Amino acid sequence: MIRKQRFTPSSGSGSGTFRPQLTSLVDVMAIILVFLIKTFSTEGNIITPSTDLELPVSTSQKHPKPQWSIEIARDMVMSEGTVIASTKAYAKSDSLLVPELYKWLQKKRVQRADSTSQLLLQCDKEVPYAIVKKVMYTCSKANFTDFSILVIQEE
Amino acid sequence: MKLSLFKENRPPSDTMDENDIDIAPVMNMFIILVTFLVSMAVFTHMAILDFTLPPNVGAGLDMSKGKPKVKITIRLGSDYCGIVMGEKLLDSLPVAKGDVFPFPALAAQLAVRRKEASVQDEVVIASLDGIAFKQVVHVMDICREAGFAKVGLSSATLDRGADK
Repeated sequence: MIRKQRFTPSSGSGSGTFRPQLTSLVDVMAIILVFLIKTFSTEGNIITPSTDLELPVSTSQKHPKPQWSIEIARDMVMSEGTVIASTKAYAKSDSLLVPELYKWLQKKRVQRADSTSQLLLQCDKEVPYAIVKKVMYTCSKANFTDFSILVIQEE
Repeated sequence: MKLSLFKENRPPSDTMDENDIDIAPVMNMFIILVTFLVSMAVFTHMAILDFTLPPNVGAGLDMSKGKPKVKITIRLGSDYCGIVMGEKLLDSLPVAKGDVFPFPALAAQLAVRRKEASVQDEVVIASLDGIAFKQVVHVMDICREAGFAKVGLSSATLDRGADK
């Protein structure tokens, strides 16, 4: 059986009309489309993690809610893109309280007139527990009692 | 009335070239859809883990609830992981070189100890200062999978005072 030519010269003339074979491309497109629709999430991520963090992985299925958030990177503590304290400054301190963070939380509470007790911690996975502990202690002194950790959901 | 394919008394295969479907609009639609879906795709899903702090840490200390209940405490250190009940060390699982934590053994032991405990829905994780936060999160996962609904975070001491 003679296969159809991809290049079909127009009748009578020397110049041909190029007709690309699109069938295989349509197949690929259909497969990609099905895959993307299947993985498409209408919920999305309500919370965007900070780019300075590498979040830990967890099997938790609980969805995050928008709330106050403190980001603990390897060398600084931040919130809403503002650097609050350097971890080097308080890592070796004997005190559990981080004064800069405490002042910032108190100031923001007054500004927002918000008495919530919920706080979301976005913490880098390699940060030592000593640093996380001091941040948690400081937040608890600022009347935050219900903590959550932001994690990447394990597939 | 004859069908158009047979009007020239030729088999349908011969008339393929004349009746080619124009797939260019389909391709255009595919390209737009794929671009849209790729731009909107979420490849990493976020989740949260809830936890509490020990009751004497927070500003709102409640002293009206009488004696504190004895809960299972998981001691997480770079030397060993332990399951502690009050002052008694129930299990001690050594950490292998290269910070290889005995998490499967810890999960198995925790399930056993939970059945024996009086408080079966609360657990406290006490970690040493130098432990990476990802290890703490891993232990929190183990506790949740073992059936503990509430997880508290605390800090551990370096000495082995718990087993005395």
